[in-house]
Amino acid sequence: MNSAACYFVNGMESETSVIARGLRRRDPDLLDRLIEQYQHRLLRYLIHLTGNRELAEDIFQETWIRVLERGAQYDAKYEFSTWLFSIARNLTIDHQRRKKPASLEGLLDEEENVSLDPADTRPSAFEVAVQHQQAEQITAALSGIPAEYREAVVLRFQEGLALDEIARITSAPLGTVKSRLYRGLGALMPHLKGVQG
Amino acid sequence: MTRDLHEQARELIACGELTDAQHTWLQAHLRNCDPCGAYAQAADQVVRSLHSVPLAADRSLVRATQLRVRARAEELQRRQERLWLVWMSCALVGLSAALTTVLLWRGFEWVGESVQVSNLVWQVGFAVFWITPALTAGVLLVARGTHFMESDSKPQG
Repeated sequence: MNSAACYFVNGMESETSVIARGLRRRDPDLLDRLIEQYQHRLLRYLIHLTGNRELAEDIFQETWIRVLERGAQYDAKYEFSTWLFSIARNLTIDHQRRKKPASLEGLLDEEENVSLDPADTRPSAFEVAVQHQQAEQITAALSGIPAEYREAVVLRFQEGLALDEIARITSAPLGTVKSRLYRGLGALMPHLKGVQG
Repeated sequence: MTRDLHEQARELIACGELTDAQHTWLQAHLRNCDPCGAYAQAADQVVRSLHSVPLAADRSLVRATQLRVRARAEELQRRQERLWLVWMSCALVGLSAALTTVLLWRGFEWVGESVQVSNLVWQVGFAVFWITPALTAGVLLVARGTHFMESDSKPQG
């Protein structure tokens, strides 16, 4: 391993260890920082998972309460985001189970209106309209593909997680994750032709 | 070129995380295969589109979450302190019981002999005296627990 890689790995270990220690102590300042740090990623994942912003916001809050309560279970060997997304995913599944006893993988197909709040970069009204239209187009395309594919695609290409992290979060074998990504991407392509990135 | 090779190339494009050997092979494949090259471009466009979705959390949601988490943290802290107090009390009661039981037994024995009652009488007296505090505390706790359960089961107004 070269020195840069070594530094990176050590840096990551110490970061996760600091988080693990703080979570064991239930340090509220650390939790405040983590909520700030992961707010957009977690909410984006939950919105795509549930298809409903209001529900996603409820589960967002529940996720952080669960992080506080189960903080001692976090293993510093893994990225914090992997553990965080697993908790969010399990809470979503629990919620859907309470709502109606359905199959787990089919739970995410109920699409409702997802309100999209463009990030506050103060573009012109025309840019906002175009951005909003594109975002709606992308969200519609995502909601049109099977939930398992959508989850894999979102985790990989929006949240930038590694394949093994996605496998851990979704409790699926690596081969299944790869297959879901391949199929998910293939399913999105016809819908997203012409959408500018 | 077989169909499998094209599929393999597209899976590598879709999943990423290539080894050096896979990267070299894929580059070579893409140089000679226009459909897979087009797939790579389309995949790149999809990924860039996904990156451009501007979903963001509201400031109010973040603040509300932080406040809820802090409130829950304080509640858990209080609960932990109460639990610690209960354990300490149990330990102290156990210790004092272990130390005083012998003395108490001798005391009851002496009183029994002084007032000239049978052994059974002062021994029953000792047992009642010894067990009464725990019995009273138990009854009070059960009554309090029942009261809480009744309060919880009442419909909220």
